[in-house]
Amino acid sequence: MATTTPTLTPTFATGATAKPGDVVRVDPRRERPGDQVAPGLAEVGLNHGFVGDVLSAMLTHERCGRHLYRSVATRTNNPVLRRKYEEFGGETERHATILEDLVTQLGGDPQYVSPAARAVEGNDSRLLEATYLLAGSVDVMTQEMVMLDAVLLAESMDHANWTTLAQLTESLPEGPVRASFAAAVGDVLGEEEDHLSWARDTKARLTVMQASSKAMATTATKVEEMVDTVRGWLST
Amino acid sequence: MGLNPLEHKGIPVEDQVRSWSDLNPQPYDKHAVDPYTRTRVILMNGIEVESILFSHQFARHTDDVDLKQKLALSRRIEAQQQKVVNGLNPGDQTPLETTIGYEQVAVDLTAWLARHEPNPYLHQALDFALLEDFDHLYRYANLYELLDGGNATELTEHLTEITPGRPTIVEHRHPSDDVRGHFETHTVDPLSRLHVMTIVAAEQQTMNFYMNHGTDWIEPIARGLYAEIALIEEQHVTHYESLLDPLDSWMKMLVFHELDEIYLYWSMLQQEQDSRIRSIWEEHLDMEIGQLHVACDLLRRYEGVEPEEIVPAELPDTPVTFEPNKDYVRSVLAEQIQLQADGLEFVPVDDLPKSHRYFAYQAKVNAGGAPSEQVIDANRDKSGREFRDETEGEHPVVDLRDPVSARR
Repeated sequence: MATTTPTLTPTFATGATAKPGDVVRVDPRRERPGDQVAPGLAEVGLNHGFVGDVLSAMLTHERCGRHLYRSVATRTNNPVLRRKYEEFGGETERHATILEDLVTQLGGDPQYVSPAARAVEGNDSRLLEATYLLAGSVDVMTQEMVMLDAVLLAESMDHANWTTLAQLTESLPEGPVRASFAAAVGDVLGEEEDHLSWARDTKARLTVMQASSKAMATTATKVEEMVDTVRGWLST
Repeated sequence: MGLNPLEHKGIPVEDQVRSWSDLNPQPYDKHAVDPYTRTRVILMNGIEVESILFSHQFARHTDDVDLKQKLALSRRIEAQQQKVVNGLNPGDQTPLETTIGYEQVAVDLTAWLARHEPNPYLHQALDFALLEDFDHLYRYANLYELLDGGNATELTEHLTEITPGRPTIVEHRHPSDDVRGHFETHTVDPLSRLHVMTIVAAEQQTMNFYMNHGTDWIEPIARGLYAEIALIEEQHVTHYESLLDPLDSWMKMLVFHELDEIYLYWSMLQQEQDSRIRSIWEEHLDMEIGQLHVACDLLRRYEGVEPEEIVPAELPDTPVTFEPNKDYVRSVLAEQIQLQADGLEFVPVDDLPKSHRYFAYQAKVNAGGAPSEQVIDANRDKSGREFRDETEGEHPVVDLRDPVSARR
């Protein structure tokens, strides 16, 4: 079981590397050519540059997920949601460590940020921004659902990533590479299924609960009353 | 050791509001001021203006009241700081004299940043625009002599040479050729990020100044020259802002803005000999540290990012320094005068095909002649020679040597 602390934001100080492109002008000291992304994958016949970039994107999604969980855990008014966000946030951080270890085992660099990872970070950071930039437009209850929706969207992608990795593992020949993949997938996929099902079920539960409740957020409803209402969600 | 701003408390933002009298400082004496004190004032005014404009843009992208209020408070403080810094400029310093100060900033700031820039592409971008700003100083110095009978060296004190760079008339490019590639935010050296943010703010301020002061004159030659060079500064803002990685979130950009202000006030503090102005840099440094803490709290709360993840453990230990860069500028002149831009790249102008959009754009804007050439011709007619201050010998580019001197 991974216990070390992963890098959540690769920087110059942590040794980040990236692939240069026409538009992205990477400091030459930090350039990582495509053939050095995950060389260990070449021996099993995979397009190692492509798969290395995908692993970097997956790792970035876990890192962004950790930030999302920290953010929503800080801002939620509901203690049950907060506990769950903290729990899943911790597990997400562990998944980042597992992916860092996997990349290292494949001869790659966990500090490498692939072009695909940049795109993922673009999506994920905008998803997180959407939970607060427009917070003035929504009431306290809706704000909780906005944050939960962000978690659901992030976990949907996360689950798809690990399911894809599981399928890729099955296609690999027996050997140490497959064993590394299988160990990572075996360690994580169950938790990802829990995360996704919890987010999906909780969204449905809270939606149904509000739909059948007489409590409505109106302009006359005081914020304190709505916060009290939110605090009571999921308490039974 | 460089400064670690997270280890310092600074002044809490709520304690930073100042009275009107605090915001109206005694200006420096334009006859006695160190030219590089003037350039420090110009630079830091531009840095504050950028921080204000950035904060306004951020605020326009959110309706979260708490966030908007925190931005509004920090922004009001930045606006007060801008008043203090800009208030150091004396009323008897004419817009044209201030302009010569702006171009001295552009030359010696850009050259210093280029000399210290580790990323070759960013270094090239700095060198490229350096030669253009260097030329603007020469054009404005001639306008100063032509209109006011002024001697620009009384402002620059020979610390910066005044002679042609890449001639302004050939700087006008198709807008598509002012767009550049950018650094990668994860891998960028913190020094490079600070360099780019600094030069974006400085060039933006120059653009704004010329946009607004170009009509201070009755003389068409002056109005025309300001219009022409203002458009080059707009090109330079396009050029430099392209170097920033757009991947960073609004919140991270806010933190990076505060960091840049801290680095620069700290830098100005290292060099300032005027004790009164030095105390302003010192106070503003403490204020910026307080503002950084607010930005870091917002980053932590809204984005779940611990500030230590993106704030370097220490800022660069080399202060941005205003000092002569004559040898450096001469070497860039000698080696890169012929460069132009083709898309994101810099290429010798002779490598551009005749059908390139550069030539079509040049033909369009220069169709009736260019004020930047007319001002030199007019000053030659009036003064019997053009104005130059070549302290290190003849111009390193033969074609740009003074025709009058060359005949002698």
